[in-house]
Amino acid sequence: MSDKRVITRLFVANRGEIAVRLINACRKLGIATVIGVSEADRDSLGAKLADRAVCIGPAPAAQSYLRMETVVTAAVGTGCQALHPGYGFLAERAALARLCAEHDIIFVGPSPNAIDAMGDKLRARKLAAELGVPTVPGTDRVRSSDDLLEFGRRAGYPFLVKASAGGGGRGMRVVRTPQEAPAAFESASAEARAAFGDATLYIERYIERARHVEIQIIADAHGTVVHLGERDCSTQRRHQKLIEEAPSPVVDESLRIRMAQAAVELARHVSYTNAGTVEFIIDVDAGQFYFLEMNTRIQVEHPVTEAISGVDLVVEQIRVASGARLSFLQQDVRLSGHAIECRINAEIPERGFQPSPGLISMWRPPSGAGIRIDSHCYSGYFVPPFYDSMIGKLIVHGRDRSDAVARMREALAGFRIDGVSTTIPFHQAVLAHPDFVQNRVTTRWVENNLIPELHQAESVT
Amino acid sequence: MALTHEDVVSILKIIDESPYNEVRLEIGDLKLHVSRHGSGCAAAAAQPLPQTIESPVPPAPKSPPPAQAVPASVAPQQQQSAVPTVAAESQIHEGLVVVRAPMLGTFYRAPSPGEPPFVEVGDRVGTDDTVCLVEVMKLFNSVKAGVDGTVVKIAVENGSMVEHGQVLVLIESDQHTTHAAVQ
Repeated sequence: MSDKRVITRLFVANRGEIAVRLINACRKLGIATVIGVSEADRDSLGAKLADRAVCIGPAPAAQSYLRMETVVTAAVGTGCQALHPGYGFLAERAALARLCAEHDIIFVGPSPNAIDAMGDKLRARKLAAELGVPTVPGTDRVRSSDDLLEFGRRAGYPFLVKASAGGGGRGMRVVRTPQEAPAAFESASAEARAAFGDATLYIERYIERARHVEIQIIADAHGTVVHLGERDCSTQRRHQKLIEEAPSPVVDESLRIRMAQAAVELARHVSYTNAGTVEFIIDVDAGQFYFLEMNTRIQVEHPVTEAISGVDLVVEQIRVASGARLSFLQQDVRLSGHAIECRINAEIPERGFQPSPGLISMWRPPSGAGIRIDSHCYSGYFVPPFYDSMIGKLIVHGRDRSDAVARMREALAGFRIDGVSTTIPFHQAVLAHPDFVQNRVTTRWVENNLIPELHQAESVT
Repeated sequence: MALTHEDVVSILKIIDESPYNEVRLEIGDLKLHVSRHGSGCAAAAAQPLPQTIESPVPPAPKSPPPAQAVPASVAPQQQQSAVPTVAAESQIHEGLVVVRAPMLGTFYRAPSPGEPPFVEVGDRVGTDDTVCLVEVMKLFNSVKAGVDGTVVKIAVENGSMVEHGQVLVLIESDQHTTHAAVQ
């Protein structure tokens, strides 16, 4: 797998901001791009910026972006040597990586075997445990609600039931009392079967006060695995990340080294290549970290790592996919300053974050030193109702955390979007909150603290 | 007043099905302006149309056009994606039925390499007759004529990749011919 292959044309198998990001990385490398678009995305920025756009199907993703045979046929038919899946859609399907290999297309991502090894959460947990990486206390596969009751008797409540094939909070339930166990088992397994075609469940202890911290790694086909430090994604709502930052304000150098070593070790063990993220949960009260899962793709929040490391992760992804060596070694990595990313969604925060697609009549992002916008939007763009509601990412880079917070507040205030409701006011509320400023946020802070406070403030006025 | 997901879907559907190019909707403070043309809005309503259709096709299927009337297809590598416009659609005159690719795939004119094509220009076809195949990863999908009539154009070269919605074959409908004759 160490043969070097020339990539002159790459297929962009995604949409939205990440499609634009991939096209820009290819331009930097002198690689032509072909994008597969649905009927709803014919006029998208990605379609305009790519060297060629081909329509792969109707608007619903199940009939276009999720059809791997169509996507690979389009890549072959347009003479591409490589395919980048971005994130979401088909990005973590080992079958896509295999199909690409069968058609002599370079899949920009890890090998199908590495995707399989990490895609099965139970298998990944076992692997981590074998390597001495701490995992959240829990069980192997559970087969009935009796197994849940048994765990509850032994270890106490509450605990989590999770889908082995899961992700994004789907197929996951909190069990707080024995009475909740049967319904939780049934609904979690039904949801897991519907979403992933696999109803396998397991149990994890419920950590009351947790921070979500993840390590970015990247590996080439020559055995070099490096890490680029961590990102803290604790500001979430229903397991959906809203704000990410790097470095984590709760991770010190010794913890960083231990987590990074665990991540690199795990990657080496599955002969991992390309970019990946090893997610950990930090139990704030116990001061302990646990392996959660590995994401075998580029992440939405990769720009915060790029900001503090100066590494273009997508460019490196494409380079290593072609068989080239990483352009840097671990000792070359220098992390400097502090970066924060806010995901700007077309949603109405005060109405339970209900999506608000429609016409963006005015799009005027902030600009200036230390500000980066990753987006596919422009004045006159129609946000289609068929896909994810994220319309852009606002990333700031400052000297330190307080500088970054100040820059983010300023950038949010200067971001004008008319025509659709956005989460900008919500981000402003987070950035102004003493809990965020003083690092008291945990993964359930938005739901348990911030949203109730905002509702209260609303009903008072 | 804000738009819900369902509202937007139904608005798009209404525009998609209507002959109008612009819709202005005002409900209280809410003002919505959706247009098929221009600044890239209402993308969902746009229909694809490849570059191969540049001029109206002459509606004279009585004497079959010569075989070389099949347009030379552009090599996929060089071909720029056609930006679909609804305006170009009007160039296709009434009575001419457009058969489009139901999916992206490889276009085949014959059931297998050695066999004669399903249809040639000038051939009479029935609604349920197969006019071509679109293949995606060894899965062959037959494309029906959808109308009784006469094949006037085969817009794609055998073996080339077609996009979802790309025009494959043009058929002069019998119904229109009869109708015109009565007039």
